[in-house]
Amino acid sequence: MTAGATMLLQINFKSGMPVYLQVVDQIKTAAASGAIQSGEAIPSIRPLAEELRVNRNTIAKAYTELESQGIIESIPGKGCFIKPNNSPLKKEVRRKLLTEEIDQVIVQAHHLQVPPSEFLNLVRERLAVMDERQRSNETPKSP
Amino acid sequence: MSDSTPAIEIKDLVYTYGRAEAVHGLNLTVQPGRCYGLFGRNGAGKTTTMKCVLNLLRPRGGTVRLFGLDPSTHEVEVKRRLAYVPDHVAFYPWMTVRETLDYLASFRDRWNRDTERGLLDRFRLDPGQRTAALSKGQRTQVALVAAICPEPDLLLLDEPTSGLDPIVRREFIETVIGAYQEGGPGKRTILVSTHLISEFEGLIDQFTIMDRGRDILALDADQARNRYQKIRARFTGAPPDTVFPGALHVRRNGRELELIANGGGPEIVERLRGLSPESLTSEALTLEEVFVATLK
Repeated sequence: MTAGATMLLQINFKSGMPVYLQVVDQIKTAAASGAIQSGEAIPSIRPLAEELRVNRNTIAKAYTELESQGIIESIPGKGCFIKPNNSPLKKEVRRKLLTEEIDQVIVQAHHLQVPPSEFLNLVRERLAVMDERQRSNETPKSP
Repeated sequence: MSDSTPAIEIKDLVYTYGRAEAVHGLNLTVQPGRCYGLFGRNGAGKTTTMKCVLNLLRPRGGTVRLFGLDPSTHEVEVKRRLAYVPDHVAFYPWMTVRETLDYLASFRDRWNRDTERGLLDRFRLDPGQRTAALSKGQRTQVALVAAICPEPDLLLLDEPTSGLDPIVRREFIETVIGAYQEGGPGKRTILVSTHLISEFEGLIDQFTIMDRGRDILALDADQARNRYQKIRARFTGAPPDTVFPGALHVRRNGRELELIANGGGPEIVERLRGLSPESLTSEALTLEEVFVATLK
Protein backbone atom coordinates (compact mmCIF):
# COMPACT_ATOMS: atom_id res chain seq x y z
CA MET A 1 0.00 0.00 0.00
CA THR A 2 1.34 3.45 -0.81
CA ALA A 3 1.69 6.14 1.81
CA GLY A 4 -0.61 8.47 -0.12
CA ALA A 5 -3.47 6.05 0.37
CA THR A 6 -3.07 5.75 4.12
CA MET A 7 -2.39 9.38 4.85
CA LEU A 8 -5.39 11.63 4.65
CA LEU A 9 -4.65 15.20 5.51
CA GLN A 10 -7.29 17.78 6.10
CA ILE A 11 -6.78 21.51 6.18
CA ASN A 12 -9.05 23.54 8.39
CA PHE A 13 -8.92 27.23 7.59
CA LYS A 14 -11.00 28.02 10.68
CA SER A 15 -8.46 26.66 13.13
CA GLY A 16 -6.39 29.85 12.97
CA MET A 17 -3.25 27.71 12.77
CA PRO A 18 -0.91 28.43 9.85
CA VAL A 19 -1.61 25.96 7.05
CA TYR A 20 1.96 24.64 6.88
CA LEU A 21 1.87 23.85 10.62
CA GLN A 22 -1.36 21.90 10.15
CA VAL A 23 0.47 19.74 7.60
CA VAL A 24 3.45 19.35 9.97
CA ASP A 25 1.21 18.35 12.88
CA GLN A 26 -0.85 15.87 10.90
CA ILE A 27 2.18 14.12 9.46
CA LYS A 28 3.74 13.97 12.93
CA THR A 29 0.53 12.48 14.30
CA ALA A 30 0.35 9.97 11.44
CA ALA A 31 3.95 8.93 12.14
CA ALA A 32 3.41 8.73 15.90
CA SER A 33 0.26 6.61 15.54
CA GLY A 34 1.89 4.33 13.01
CA ALA A 35 -0.47 5.33 10.20
CA ILE A 36 2.74 5.85 8.27
CA GLN A 37 5.61 3.62 9.33
CA SER A 38 9.24 4.61 9.46
CA GLY A 39 10.90 4.13 6.09
CA GLU A 40 7.60 4.67 4.30
CA ALA A 41 7.34 7.39 1.67
CA ILE A 42 5.12 10.40 2.14
CA PRO A 43 3.49 12.00 -0.91
CA SER A 44 5.71 14.31 -2.91
CA ILE A 45 5.02 18.01 -2.81
CA ARG A 46 3.16 18.50 -6.07
CA PRO A 47 0.45 15.83 -5.76
CA LEU A 48 -0.18 16.70 -2.11
CA ALA A 49 -0.44 20.42 -2.92
CA GLU A 50 -2.83 19.66 -5.78
CA GLU A 51 -4.94 17.32 -3.68
CA LEU A 52 -5.28 19.78 -0.80
CA ARG A 53 -5.46 22.69 -3.24
CA VAL A 54 -2.90 24.66 -1.30
CA ASN A 55 0.11 26.57 -2.51
CA ARG A 56 3.01 24.21 -3.18
CA ASN A 57 5.28 26.59 -1.24
CA THR A 58 3.16 25.81 1.82
CA ILE A 59 3.80 22.07 1.48
CA ALA A 60 7.48 22.70 0.76
CA LYS A 61 7.69 24.78 3.94
CA ALA A 62 6.00 22.02 5.95
CA TYR A 63 8.42 19.39 4.61
CA THR A 64 11.42 21.61 5.39
CA GLU A 65 10.12 21.95 8.93
CA LEU A 66 9.55 18.18 9.26
CA GLU A 67 13.05 17.56 7.99
CA SER A 68 14.61 20.00 10.45
CA GLN A 69 12.67 18.31 13.26
CA GLY A 70 14.09 14.97 12.17
CA ILE A 71 10.67 13.47 11.36
CA ILE A 72 11.32 12.91 7.67
CA GLU A 73 14.33 12.73 5.42
CA SER A 74 14.40 13.69 1.80
CA ILE A 75 16.43 11.55 -0.54
CA PRO A 76 17.20 13.43 -3.76
CA GLY A 77 15.48 11.85 -6.73
CA LYS A 78 13.51 9.45 -4.53
CA GLY A 79 11.27 11.55 -2.35
CA CYS A 80 10.58 12.05 1.34
CA PHE A 81 10.51 9.25 3.89
CA ILE A 82 9.58 8.90 7.54
CA LYS A 83 12.73 8.53 9.59
CA PRO A 84 13.13 5.85 12.24
CA ASN A 85 12.02 7.24 15.54
CA ASN A 86 15.41 8.19 16.96
CA SER A 87 15.23 11.78 18.02
CA PRO A 88 18.56 13.48 17.42
CA LEU A 89 17.96 15.61 20.52
CA LYS A 90 19.36 14.82 23.94
CA LYS A 91 17.01 13.47 26.54
CA GLU A 92 16.98 16.70 28.63
CA VAL A 93 16.19 18.75 25.52
CA ARG A 94 13.38 16.40 24.58
CA ARG A 95 11.97 16.59 28.10
CA LYS A 96 12.18 20.37 28.08
CA LEU A 97 10.36 20.65 24.73
CA LEU A 98 7.63 18.37 25.96
CA THR A 99 7.39 20.21 29.29
CA GLU A 100 6.58 23.43 27.48
CA GLU A 101 3.77 21.75 25.55
CA ILE A 102 2.41 20.11 28.69
CA ASP A 103 2.42 23.44 30.55
CA GLN A 104 0.29 24.95 27.83
CA VAL A 105 -2.24 22.14 28.06
CA ILE A 106 -2.31 22.49 31.86
CA VAL A 107 -3.10 26.20 31.53
CA GLN A 108 -5.82 25.35 29.02
CA ALA A 109 -7.24 22.70 31.39
CA HIS A 110 -7.33 25.25 34.19
CA HIS A 111 -9.31 27.71 32.06
CA LEU A 112 -11.69 24.99 30.97
CA GLN A 113 -12.17 24.08 34.62
CA VAL A 114 -10.97 20.52 34.18
CA PRO A 115 -9.61 19.45 37.61
CA PRO A 116 -6.16 17.75 37.83
CA SER A 117 -7.50 14.24 38.52
CA GLU A 118 -9.82 14.40 35.53
CA PHE A 119 -7.02 15.87 33.45
CA LEU A 120 -4.68 12.98 34.31
CA ASN A 121 -7.39 10.48 33.47
CA LEU A 122 -7.88 12.17 30.13
CA VAL A 123 -4.14 11.93 29.41
CA ARG A 124 -4.18 8.20 30.20
CA GLU A 125 -7.22 7.75 28.01
CA ARG A 126 -5.54 9.50 25.08
CA LEU A 127 -2.33 7.51 25.51
CA ALA A 128 -4.42 4.35 25.36
CA VAL A 129 -6.17 5.56 22.18
CA MET A 130 -2.83 6.33 20.55
CA ASP A 131 -1.48 2.97 21.62
CA GLU A 132 -4.53 1.22 20.18
CA ARG A 133 -4.17 3.08 16.89
CA GLN A 134 -0.50 2.21 16.71
CA ARG A 135 -1.28 -1.46 17.23
CA SER A 136 -4.04 -1.55 14.66
CA ASN A 137 -1.70 0.09 12.14
CA GLU A 138 0.99 -2.51 12.57
CA THR A 139 0.40 -4.63 9.55
CA PRO A 140 1.21 -8.30 10.15
CA LYS A 141 4.20 -9.13 7.99
CA SER A 142 4.37 -12.47 6.28
CA PRO A 143 7.57 -14.41 7.06
CA MET B 1 17.38 41.55 -11.23
CA SER B 2 18.09 41.07 -7.57
CA ASP B 3 15.86 38.72 -5.60
CA SER B 4 14.36 41.57 -3.64
CA THR B 5 12.92 43.31 -6.71
CA PRO B 6 9.15 42.90 -6.43
CA ALA B 7 7.41 41.12 -9.28
CA ILE B 8 4.75 43.82 -9.13
CA GLU B 9 4.94 47.21 -7.47
CA ILE B 10 2.01 49.60 -7.74
CA LYS B 11 2.22 53.02 -6.12
CA ASP B 12 -0.61 55.55 -5.85
CA LEU B 13 -2.24 54.21 -9.00
CA VAL B 14 -5.02 56.42 -10.36
CA TYR B 15 -7.29 55.64 -13.28
CA THR B 16 -10.62 57.23 -14.07
CA TYR B 17 -13.11 56.55 -16.84
CA GLY B 18 -15.66 59.04 -15.68
CA ARG B 19 -17.67 55.88 -14.89
CA ALA B 20 -18.20 53.84 -11.74
CA GLU B 21 -15.14 51.59 -11.96
CA ALA B 22 -11.96 53.51 -11.25
CA VAL B 23 -8.82 53.36 -9.17
CA HIS B 24 -7.99 56.12 -6.70
CA GLY B 25 -4.50 55.80 -5.22
CA LEU B 26 -3.93 52.03 -5.03
CA ASN B 27 -0.76 50.62 -3.48
CA LEU B 28 0.23 46.99 -3.84
CA THR B 29 3.50 45.05 -3.81
CA VAL B 30 3.89 41.41 -4.81
CA GLN B 31 7.17 39.66 -4.04
CA PRO B 32 8.44 36.99 -6.43
CA GLY B 33 7.16 33.49 -5.75
CA ARG B 34 4.03 34.61 -3.96
CA CYS B 35 0.46 33.85 -4.86
CA TYR B 36 -1.24 37.17 -4.29
CA GLY B 37 -4.99 37.68 -4.11
CA LEU B 38 -6.71 40.88 -5.14
CA PHE B 39 -10.16 40.82 -3.58
CA GLY B 40 -12.96 43.24 -4.16
CA ARG B 41 -16.63 43.46 -4.97
CA ASN B 42 -17.77 43.93 -8.54
CA GLY B 43 -16.78 47.42 -9.58
CA ALA B 44 -14.08 47.80 -6.91
CA GLY B 45 -11.46 48.42 -9.60
CA LYS B 46 -9.81 44.99 -9.86
CA THR B 47 -10.00 44.67 -13.63
CA THR B 48 -8.88 48.27 -14.14
CA THR B 49 -5.87 47.53 -11.93
CA MET B 50 -5.09 44.37 -13.93
CA LYS B 51 -5.32 46.32 -17.18
CA CYS B 52 -2.92 48.96 -15.87
CA VAL B 53 -0.49 46.18 -14.86
CA LEU B 54 -0.80 44.76 -18.38
CA ASN B 55 -0.30 48.21 -19.92
CA LEU B 56 -3.65 47.89 -21.65
CA LEU B 57 -4.62 51.11 -19.87
CA ARG B 58 -2.28 54.02 -19.27
CA PRO B 59 -2.45 55.13 -15.60
CA ARG B 60 -3.56 58.74 -15.04
CA GLY B 61 -1.37 58.90 -11.97
CA GLY B 62 1.07 56.89 -9.91
CA THR B 63 3.43 54.17 -11.08
CA VAL B 64 3.32 50.52 -12.05
CA ARG B 65 6.53 48.48 -12.12
CA LEU B 66 6.88 44.85 -13.14
CA PHE B 67 10.21 43.21 -12.26
CA GLY B 68 11.38 46.76 -11.59
CA LEU B 69 10.50 47.89 -15.13
CA ASP B 70 7.93 50.33 -16.44
CA PRO B 71 5.57 48.25 -18.62
CA SER B 72 4.85 51.21 -20.92
CA THR B 73 8.50 51.80 -21.83
CA HIS B 74 9.74 48.17 -21.56
CA GLU B 75 6.68 46.58 -23.08
CA VAL B 76 8.37 43.63 -24.80
CA GLU B 77 10.72 42.82 -21.94
CA VAL B 78 7.86 42.81 -19.49
CA LYS B 79 5.34 40.96 -21.66
CA ARG B 80 7.68 38.10 -22.50
CA ARG B 81 7.82 37.32 -18.78
CA LEU B 82 4.11 37.28 -18.07
CA ALA B 83 0.89 35.58 -19.12
CA TYR B 84 -2.70 36.58 -18.59
CA VAL B 85 -5.99 34.73 -18.28
CA PRO B 86 -8.95 37.13 -18.45
CA ASP B 87 -12.52 36.68 -17.35
CA HIS B 88 -13.87 36.55 -20.90
CA VAL B 89 -11.61 34.60 -23.21
CA ALA B 90 -11.83 35.24 -26.93
CA PHE B 91 -9.99 33.41 -29.72
CA TYR B 92 -10.21 33.60 -33.50
CA PRO B 93 -13.33 31.49 -33.98
CA TRP B 94 -12.19 29.91 -37.25
CA MET B 95 -9.01 28.47 -35.73
CA THR B 96 -8.86 25.04 -34.15
CA VAL B 97 -7.47 24.53 -30.63
CA ARG B 98 -4.23 23.27 -32.24
CA GLU B 99 -3.95 26.31 -34.53
CA THR B 100 -4.76 28.68 -31.69
CA LEU B 101 -2.02 27.25 -29.47
CA ASP B 102 0.51 27.26 -32.35
CA TYR B 103 -0.44 30.85 -33.14
CA LEU B 104 0.01 31.92 -29.50
CA ALA B 105 3.24 29.89 -29.19
CA SER B 106 4.68 31.79 -32.18
CA PHE B 107 4.84 34.95 -30.00
CA ARG B 108 6.81 33.20 -27.28
CA ASP B 109 10.51 32.44 -26.77
CA ARG B 110 9.65 29.27 -24.95
CA TRP B 111 6.80 26.80 -25.15
CA ASN B 112 6.77 23.58 -23.17
CA ARG B 113 5.27 20.93 -25.48
CA ASP B 114 5.19 18.27 -22.74
CA THR B 115 3.17 20.55 -20.48
CA GLU B 116 0.87 21.33 -23.40
CA ARG B 117 0.26 17.65 -24.17
CA GLY B 118 -0.33 16.86 -20.50
CA LEU B 119 -2.84 19.65 -20.04
CA LEU B 120 -4.77 18.99 -23.28
CA ASP B 121 -5.11 15.41 -22.05
CA ARG B 122 -6.12 16.39 -18.58
CA PHE B 123 -8.78 18.79 -19.84
CA ARG B 124 -9.88 16.28 -22.51
CA LEU B 125 -9.59 19.00 -25.16
CA ASP B 126 -9.79 17.99 -28.82
CA PRO B 127 -7.00 19.79 -30.71
CA GLY B 128 -9.00 19.57 -33.94
CA GLN B 129 -12.03 21.40 -32.60
CA ARG B 130 -12.71 24.95 -33.74
CA THR B 131 -12.57 27.45 -30.89
CA ALA B 132 -16.01 28.77 -31.90
CA ALA B 133 -17.46 25.44 -30.74
CA LEU B 134 -15.81 25.48 -27.29
CA SER B 135 -17.80 26.02 -24.11
CA LYS B 136 -16.88 28.87 -21.77
CA GLY B 137 -15.09 26.40 -19.52
CA GLN B 138 -13.12 24.93 -22.41
CA ARG B 139 -12.13 28.38 -23.67
CA THR B 140 -10.78 29.19 -20.21
CA GLN B 141 -8.90 25.88 -20.21
CA VAL B 142 -7.29 26.67 -23.58
CA ALA B 143 -6.36 30.12 -22.26
CA LEU B 144 -4.79 28.51 -19.19
CA VAL B 145 -2.80 26.07 -21.34
CA ALA B 146 -1.61 29.04 -23.42
CA ALA B 147 -0.64 30.91 -20.25
CA ILE B 148 1.29 28.05 -18.62
CA CYS B 149 3.22 26.60 -21.59
CA PRO B 150 5.49 29.66 -22.04
CA GLU B 151 6.52 29.18 -18.36
CA PRO B 152 6.19 32.86 -17.47
CA ASP B 153 7.58 34.37 -14.26
CA LEU B 154 4.25 36.06 -13.60
CA LEU B 155 0.75 34.70 -14.11
CA LEU B 156 -2.09 37.24 -14.03
CA LEU B 157 -5.55 35.81 -13.47
CA ASP B 158 -8.53 38.16 -13.66
CA GLU B 159 -11.68 36.52 -12.25
CA PRO B 160 -10.53 33.34 -13.98
CA THR B 161 -13.12 30.96 -12.58
CA SER B 162 -16.27 33.06 -12.52
CA GLY B 163 -19.06 31.49 -14.54
CA LEU B 164 -17.40 28.06 -14.66
CA ASP B 165 -18.83 24.88 -13.24
CA PRO B 166 -17.34 23.54 -9.98
CA ILE B 167 -15.41 20.69 -11.62
CA VAL B 168 -13.73 23.01 -14.13
CA ARG B 169 -12.98 25.50 -11.32
CA ARG B 170 -11.37 22.80 -9.22
CA GLU B 171 -9.26 21.54 -12.14
CA PHE B 172 -8.25 25.10 -12.95
CA ILE B 173 -6.85 25.68 -9.47
CA GLU B 174 -5.16 22.27 -9.33
CA THR B 175 -3.49 23.07 -12.65
CA VAL B 176 -2.21 26.41 -11.41
CA ILE B 177 -0.75 24.66 -8.35
CA GLY B 178 0.58 21.65 -10.21
CA ALA B 179 1.65 22.62 -13.70
CA TYR B 180 2.44 26.29 -13.13
CA GLN B 181 4.02 26.33 -9.68
CA GLU B 182 6.00 23.15 -10.40
CA GLY B 183 8.37 24.84 -12.84
CA GLY B 184 10.35 27.23 -10.68
CA PRO B 185 9.71 26.78 -6.98
CA GLY B 186 9.83 30.13 -5.25
CA LYS B 187 9.99 32.00 -8.55
CA ARG B 188 6.56 31.61 -10.12
CA THR B 189 4.45 34.57 -9.09
CA ILE B 190 0.66 34.72 -9.33
CA LEU B 191 -1.68 37.69 -9.06
CA VAL B 192 -5.29 36.58 -9.00
CA SER B 193 -8.26 38.91 -8.78
CA THR B 194 -11.44 37.25 -7.65
CA HIS B 195 -14.53 37.50 -5.55
CA LEU B 196 -14.75 33.69 -5.34
CA ILE B 197 -12.33 33.80 -2.44
CA SER B 198 -12.98 30.46 -0.77
CA GLU B 199 -11.82 28.49 -3.82
CA PHE B 200 -8.45 30.17 -3.77
CA GLU B 201 -8.11 30.10 0.01
CA GLY B 202 -5.32 27.50 0.14
CA LEU B 203 -3.43 28.91 -2.80
CA ILE B 204 -3.26 32.53 -1.70
CA ASP B 205 -0.50 33.47 0.70
CA GLN B 206 -1.00 37.24 0.67
CA PHE B 207 -3.85 39.49 -0.35
CA THR B 208 -5.17 43.00 -0.71
CA ILE B 209 -8.81 43.87 -0.28
CA MET B 210 -9.81 46.78 -2.45
CA ASP B 211 -12.92 48.88 -2.25
CA ARG B 212 -13.94 51.78 -4.45
CA GLY B 213 -10.53 51.96 -6.06
CA ARG B 214 -8.48 51.90 -2.88
CA ASP B 215 -6.54 49.24 -1.00
CA ILE B 216 -8.16 48.98 2.39
CA LEU B 217 -6.41 45.93 3.83
CA ALA B 218 -3.24 44.04 2.87
CA LEU B 219 -2.26 40.98 4.90
CA ASP B 220 -0.55 37.63 4.91
CA ALA B 221 -3.24 34.90 4.70
CA ASP B 222 -2.10 32.96 7.79
CA GLN B 223 -1.80 36.22 9.69
CA ALA B 224 -5.32 37.23 8.72
CA ARG B 225 -6.76 33.92 9.90
CA ASN B 226 -4.86 34.35 13.16
CA ARG B 227 -5.98 37.93 13.71
CA TYR B 228 -9.65 37.73 12.80
CA GLN B 229 -11.72 35.54 15.07
CA LYS B 230 -15.37 34.80 15.45
CA ILE B 231 -16.22 34.43 19.13
CA ARG B 232 -19.56 33.03 20.27
CA ALA B 233 -20.84 32.94 23.82
CA ARG B 234 -24.18 31.69 25.11
CA PHE B 235 -25.47 32.82 28.48
CA THR B 236 -28.15 31.47 30.78
CA GLY B 237 -29.96 34.79 30.55
CA ALA B 238 -29.68 37.78 28.26
CA PRO B 239 -26.09 38.53 27.20
CA PRO B 240 -24.49 41.28 29.35
CA ASP B 241 -24.19 44.76 27.89
CA THR B 242 -20.43 44.76 28.33
CA VAL B 243 -18.56 46.83 25.76
CA PHE B 244 -15.74 44.97 24.05
CA PRO B 245 -13.06 47.28 22.73
CA GLY B 246 -11.44 45.83 19.63
CA ALA B 247 -14.53 43.93 18.48
CA LEU B 248 -15.39 44.70 14.86
CA HIS B 249 -18.97 43.54 14.99
CA VAL B 250 -21.15 42.56 17.90
CA ARG B 251 -24.41 40.71 17.38
CA ARG B 252 -26.89 39.71 20.04
CA ASN B 253 -29.42 37.03 19.35
CA GLY B 254 -31.50 35.83 22.28
CA ARG B 255 -29.07 34.38 24.82
CA GLU B 256 -26.22 34.42 22.33
CA LEU B 257 -23.52 36.95 21.72
CA GLU B 258 -21.35 36.85 18.60
CA LEU B 259 -18.30 39.03 18.14
CA ILE B 260 -15.81 39.43 15.35
CA ALA B 261 -12.41 40.30 16.77
CA ASN B 262 -9.66 41.96 14.77
CA GLY B 263 -6.67 41.16 16.93
CA GLY B 264 -7.25 41.01 20.66
CA GLY B 265 -9.33 37.83 20.32
CA PRO B 266 -7.72 36.09 23.33
CA GLU B 267 -8.43 39.14 25.56
CA ILE B 268 -12.07 39.19 24.51
CA VAL B 269 -12.35 35.44 25.19
CA GLU B 270 -10.82 36.02 28.65
CA ARG B 271 -13.30 38.79 29.46
CA LEU B 272 -16.22 36.70 28.28
CA ARG B 273 -15.07 33.78 30.37
CA GLY B 274 -15.19 36.09 33.38
CA LEU B 275 -18.89 36.59 32.70
CA SER B 276 -19.49 32.83 33.17
CA PRO B 277 -21.15 31.93 29.89
CA GLU B 278 -22.87 28.60 29.36
CA SER B 279 -20.67 27.97 26.34
CA LEU B 280 -17.84 29.83 24.67
CA THR B 281 -16.22 29.09 21.32
CA SER B 282 -13.87 30.89 19.04
CA GLU B 283 -12.74 30.13 15.51
CA ALA B 284 -10.68 31.84 12.84
CA LEU B 285 -12.39 33.65 10.00
CA THR B 286 -11.80 32.29 6.53
CA LEU B 287 -10.44 34.79 4.00
CA GLU B 288 -13.93 35.17 2.58
CA GLU B 289 -15.27 36.01 6.03
CA VAL B 290 -12.42 38.49 6.58
CA PHE B 291 -13.43 40.08 3.28
CA VAL B 292 -17.08 40.34 4.32
CA ALA B 293 -16.22 41.62 7.82
CA THR B 294 -13.91 44.27 6.36
CA LEU B 295 -16.44 45.59 3.87
CA LYS B 296 -19.53 45.33 6.05
